[in-house]
Amino acid sequence: MISLWRIFWLETVALWRGWTAWMLLAAAIGWLLALPRLLTGDGTAEGARELYVRYGLGGVFALLVVSLLAAATGALATEREERRLQLSLVRPVSAFAVAWGRFLALAALGALVLAAAGALVLAAAWTDRPCSHVLRPLMESPREEAARMYDAYMSAPDTPPEVRKAKKSVVLRLLEQRAKDNYQSVQTNETASWRFPGFHARRLASPQAAPSVRFRFSGDFDMRDDVRGEIAADGLCGGVSNITQTAVTVPLSACGREGERDVLSFTNRGRGAVMLRPRRDVELLFPADAFGWNLLRALLVMASVLAAVVAFGVFLGAGLSRPVALFTAIVLLMVSEMSPSVVDQYPDQLETDRIDRVGLAVARAVGKGLRSVSAMSPLGSLAVGDCVEARDAAGSVAFDFLLVPLVLSALSAALIRRKPA
Amino acid sequence: MSEPVVRLERVSKTFRDFWLRPTVKAVDALDLDVRRGEVFGLLGPNGSGKSTTIKMVLGLLAPSSGRVSLFGRSPRSKAARAKLGYLPELSYLHPFLTARETLMYYAGLCGLPGSVARERTRQLLEMVKLSDVAGRAVGGFSKGMARRVALASALVGKPELLVLDEPTSGLDPVSTKEVKTLVKALAKKGMTVLTTSHLLADAEDICDRVMILNRGRTAAEGRVSELGESLEAFFLAKVGSGDDFALADFLA
Repeated sequence: MISLWRIFWLETVALWRGWTAWMLLAAAIGWLLALPRLLTGDGTAEGARELYVRYGLGGVFALLVVSLLAAATGALATEREERRLQLSLVRPVSAFAVAWGRFLALAALGALVLAAAGALVLAAAWTDRPCSHVLRPLMESPREEAARMYDAYMSAPDTPPEVRKAKKSVVLRLLEQRAKDNYQSVQTNETASWRFPGFHARRLASPQAAPSVRFRFSGDFDMRDDVRGEIAADGLCGGVSNITQTAVTVPLSACGREGERDVLSFTNRGRGAVMLRPRRDVELLFPADAFGWNLLRALLVMASVLAAVVAFGVFLGAGLSRPVALFTAIVLLMVSEMSPSVVDQYPDQLETDRIDRVGLAVARAVGKGLRSVSAMSPLGSLAVGDCVEARDAAGSVAFDFLLVPLVLSALSAALIRRKPA
Repeated sequence: MSEPVVRLERVSKTFRDFWLRPTVKAVDALDLDVRRGEVFGLLGPNGSGKSTTIKMVLGLLAPSSGRVSLFGRSPRSKAARAKLGYLPELSYLHPFLTARETLMYYAGLCGLPGSVARERTRQLLEMVKLSDVAGRAVGGFSKGMARRVALASALVGKPELLVLDEPTSGLDPVSTKEVKTLVKALAKKGMTVLTTSHLLADAEDICDRVMILNRGRTAAEGRVSELGESLEAFFLAKVGSGDDFALADFLA
């Protein structure tokens, strides 16, 4: 334990005396202080908050990812190249402690800078409006829907032979992608219903909390049309009228009507059909805790993701020379950033060039590996006032801050034992 | 007779390239025993395998074949490393740390708790005569001062075996004398010392026994007094001609 503390201390001293930590702190604070002069919002407090969260904290996070990744790749690589690593490894200290202590110091610096940035954002964009728990409708998952559709295709006599000959996994992936974007059309005077398990229980648990519904309408639908509708949910009602935005939040209030438990229904009273993707576009919102707590949970998730990035940098530096480790880290970072959009924009086609298929396979593999990280969008949630759930934050800490770094530090230890000098 | 502090049995080390093809056989079937309390010197010209041997003793390199033991254990065991102090050929200090912090850092790696580490640091700084500059960053130290800090940090865990790789390398005559005096004083206190050098004078001054390595093989081994003339001839020939020669001619 003493040796681990000493390694942590050494790396921390190196970061502060080498100016890295001071520069990061100054850059983060400077960016947040300059933000109101650089970007103009819509003049509302909500708009200003969104600017601070999306661009302020987002910018600080991007800065930390790049700079801490660079520092992490050098943490062990430089020590090895300057022959100091061997002086630690001949002491009664485990190679794991050598890697873990360095990881902890870098992760702690990331957390400290994020905390400072978070404190500034809290002061500048504080609101007494609570964040909202988000409930989504219970539906067949896109994967289940894809499997069902696949079976239906294969049993249909008119399915083209090229689809029958195609690899099952490819067709399933294509169908899953389509299922995610599946639109539901609600005609005039027609009612669509979705089940929200737990809605009734939540209402009973906090009867004072006033829920609301959020609809998002896709760009395929012309929003300037007169959209009118009635919403009913578990004895609560609300109305939509003449909306001009792609997303609209409708507060629900008691209307004395008996509704089906856990079911939300929307009746279209407009002149044209309404189209939406229920998996993504219909959400029930429950007011929860204060902005400060939500910000704290978002910062925890960000610090955890940062820790995983740092651990990866330390791991690369354990096995490669510093320039090679840094180059590899930056290339992988770019691939990981681009992967989700590549997969979204270029879903599997049955006929693609070999090189395209290889590129898609790589992008998909990276996307899959980072699914747990990329699926969470703490800044997006924070910006629109959705709660970053405590369960998700705890999961991120356990996975990104502990499990991933522990595994990567163990691998780093094996590498530096193999190649100490 | 007690177990030797360091034992190498038929140890060989072959370096390989990226494709695992053998490139250099740095050490070839080496047998070596270093007994408790003696100052043992590994001598030989550059490229003779001294540093590779030292790195295998320290557990920094694994032998390709044969067995290395330190205090009867694997050199990679924590118990063996707890009794080890190492001074590399160059000091390799963290330039942003002060002399005191450097010693405190290595004391921490040896597991010494704070108060013990502080006291040990104070004693060592006094011993190497650096107490008055203990708060200065070692990056600004002269080579001799840095060497003394490195030696003190090698001693911080109260080692039973001190491994010195070219301890006087690059030092001026005064600093060289100081280091030698220190090593002799430590040996007098019963510390086992394994040192390498390509300078005959070093071996003559501080070593009880020496082994001469040439191309990774043992060329001669014995007490300095026994090998005196042969040693001198060997080194003169190496320095003088620089070409390949048969050591046997000089030892005959």
